[in-house]
Amino acid sequence: MKRALTLGLTAYGVAELGGPDELRAATTGGPTIAVASKKSPAELVRAAVGAIGGIHRFVKPGASVLVKPNIGWARKPHQAATTNPEVVAEIVRLCKQAGAREVKVMDHAVDGPDALVLKITGIEAAAREAGAKVSLASSPALYEKVDLPRGKALKSVHVLRDLRRADVFINVPIAKVHGTTRLTLGCKNLMGIVWDRGAWHRSASLDQAIADCAAEIRPHLVILDAIQILLTNGPKGPGRTEKKDIVVAGTDQLAVDAYGATLFGRTPTSIAHLKRAHEMGVGEIDLDRVKVKHV
Amino acid sequence: MYERLRRLRRASQLLFFTAFVLLFAFAAYPLRSPIPVDLFLRADPLIALSTMLSLRRVVFPLLWYALPVVVLSLAFGRVFCGWICPMGTAIDICERALNIRGRRPERAPQLSRLKFYLLIALIVTMLLPAAHRSAVDLSLSESVGLSAVYLVDPIALLTRTFTWVGLPAAQWALRLGGDTVTAWSYSDFLGDHPALARALSPAQLAFGSVARPAYFRLGVTSFVIFAAIIALSRYARRFWCRNLCPLGALLGWLGKVSPLRLAVSDKCTRCLRCVSECKMGAISEDPHRYVGSECIGCCTCLAVCPESAISLTAGREETGREDGLRLDRRRVLQAVGFGAAAVVLPKVEWAAKRSEAGERVLKISSERLIRPPGALAENEFVTACVRCGECMKVCPTNAIQPALGEGGIEAFGTPVIVPRIGPCMQPCDLCGRVCPTQALQPFDVEEKRHLYLGTASVDRSTCIAWAEDKQCLICDEACPYDAISQRVIEGLGRPVVDERVCVGCGMCEWVCPVEPLGAIRVGSSGDRRHLTLEERRHLREQAGKDTASESPYPGL
Repeated sequence: MKRALTLGLTAYGVAELGGPDELRAATTGGPTIAVASKKSPAELVRAAVGAIGGIHRFVKPGASVLVKPNIGWARKPHQAATTNPEVVAEIVRLCKQAGAREVKVMDHAVDGPDALVLKITGIEAAAREAGAKVSLASSPALYEKVDLPRGKALKSVHVLRDLRRADVFINVPIAKVHGTTRLTLGCKNLMGIVWDRGAWHRSASLDQAIADCAAEIRPHLVILDAIQILLTNGPKGPGRTEKKDIVVAGTDQLAVDAYGATLFGRTPTSIAHLKRAHEMGVGEIDLDRVKVKHV
Repeated sequence: MYERLRRLRRASQLLFFTAFVLLFAFAAYPLRSPIPVDLFLRADPLIALSTMLSLRRVVFPLLWYALPVVVLSLAFGRVFCGWICPMGTAIDICERALNIRGRRPERAPQLSRLKFYLLIALIVTMLLPAAHRSAVDLSLSESVGLSAVYLVDPIALLTRTFTWVGLPAAQWALRLGGDTVTAWSYSDFLGDHPALARALSPAQLAFGSVARPAYFRLGVTSFVIFAAIIALSRYARRFWCRNLCPLGALLGWLGKVSPLRLAVSDKCTRCLRCVSECKMGAISEDPHRYVGSECIGCCTCLAVCPESAISLTAGREETGREDGLRLDRRRVLQAVGFGAAAVVLPKVEWAAKRSEAGERVLKISSERLIRPPGALAENEFVTACVRCGECMKVCPTNAIQPALGEGGIEAFGTPVIVPRIGPCMQPCDLCGRVCPTQALQPFDVEEKRHLYLGTASVDRSTCIAWAEDKQCLICDEACPYDAISQRVIEGLGRPVVDERVCVGCGMCEWVCPVEPLGAIRVGSSGDRRHLTLEERRHLREQAGKDTASESPYPGL
């Protein structure tokens, strides 16, 4: 009960973090996302976060922050299978500057062993230097059961314990094509905070499982790394990549993902898990109803 | 003065044992050790002898490191056993800790020549043609001997025990500690006391460092063997070194020419203190005489003699040292027969069936025999491997496991990859860098895409994409070599393996969500060690995967 309550608070935390009201008012009811382009990775992050109200809107002094990049594969940064380490480091720095008590950078890697993945992706070194605690959660003791009352494919998942402990949860996916789900963006990135991913594949529908989880676990802030995007042989690569130099930030998970889909020349509704998440009320998928700030 | 020498010997034992433990610990990613982590194995003359005799060629890394120990033994006798050998020190430590130092000497069997017979039997197995490199050229030079030395070589045995038993035990202790701290630090109580939770977090980090404790399939077997060796010390101190160790036999035989001798003066009162204190039982009833091949130079007799009647001398003059090995001719013949029988034994077994490709012997026909990358051709590999377990220790994914029956009885304990336990990580080359006998050759990470270990195949009757129409292509996602593609049937992607590209790393089998076996499994049919590197490269080029000039697969 207490867990459900806490997660409920997490879920609706977006609205309570202050700031979105005036942003909502500025648009016609739809969410706002910021799209920064043509800058260095660190500047892209700063510009995008700045355009949706700045990091202070999310991170209050003394807050603990969980940053969830994609550290799934033993691939080098330029291969675009994992989140750009400079992006992660800049987010950590912003949080620290906003007075965060602690910033944890965590993921549940598919590749192993953890030490190699952390090293090859470059994220450990970059984020640690920026002041974060970096770890890959490879022990079941680090996860706790969370019910998904609205879930259609999944009834429960085992989620990182640190997620419930953190005051702010920042999802930092990298935009890639994906063999099974066509694209992997923010919603799909949440697969890295659960223990038994196999259950998602064994469930009736992976797309629905992603939507189920996205409906329950809402990040406070989503920062999509589209600096170098993977166009073929995703999600692990190696494949053809394209330099886009774009970072998208927003509080609406689906709006950010919908914009991300367009980077690959796809309509958001053609990505099944985004469509299903929209049907579950996760967020806005229609980009005409999203205010996009280009910076 | 001799008391000081004895103390120096103890210090030396401790130093080398610590070095052994440290090198063992350093045999791990990122493998940055200025000294080879397999130093003790390389320096073991028995391993060098066995590998070179049975492979019929000189293995230089072994030769250079074993030579100093040979010279040492020629000069000073079996001092390696008394001053250096980590197995000897381990036995000394256990005897002391468990207080089982030869408490039943009256029942101790007198078997000190057994180790020589054992050595003779081993040498016979090395020399006889146990298998051939080629399927058509059955000459002696193209043959390889049988590797049995692994059973009784003390350094291999100890390293293996450390890997298969010590490592998992230590990691599980950490893991259980970590889980306890984790459970505490996430409890509601600590949630209400964040300061306390913060205080616990360093402990959590330290313990939590072991997420997946290592596991080895022969851990218990290995523990029982080691425990038995220690338990034998109940009968006589260093029972193993006295009676069984073939390395001790080899060094003792070399030490026959050593000019260093013990001499007993007339001051001797026949108190027999030296006889009862000698760890090796090397001193006979008449304290003026001792067996040269049994003395390990521990200096105990020198130190304990109340009359200081014993002294060290160097030179050719006669002292009480007996240099004859006094071997029984009939027993020697039995040992030869035993060795010959050991060569025949594996042939009568089912797994001895081998497949052949033209002139080359492929491998023993077991579907699950997946060798680590860099492995020699199967016959040579089994011969050269001493089952020390270094490759298994260093493997960061715990993928390398001791073989049970996969390679037949002669390959028992050799490394095989068991993908369900761990995959062979694409950017890793550690196992090829720690093999003392080069049974696993050093290899380049860039070349790993040509080192075919096996081939994965999809079991369409259990694959949830094929059989249950579910969205699952984790194998395709995880494949580091891009060997799995999807075939879209009725709007849903189903995994298909390109066997020209698949190297059998087992990543797919490891990540497959189908329990317990995995619906995609690596079989040994794709083992292409019988092909030259050129032929293997060509295979991959045919699949159109090697068009890029630069390898897309990063190293460490």
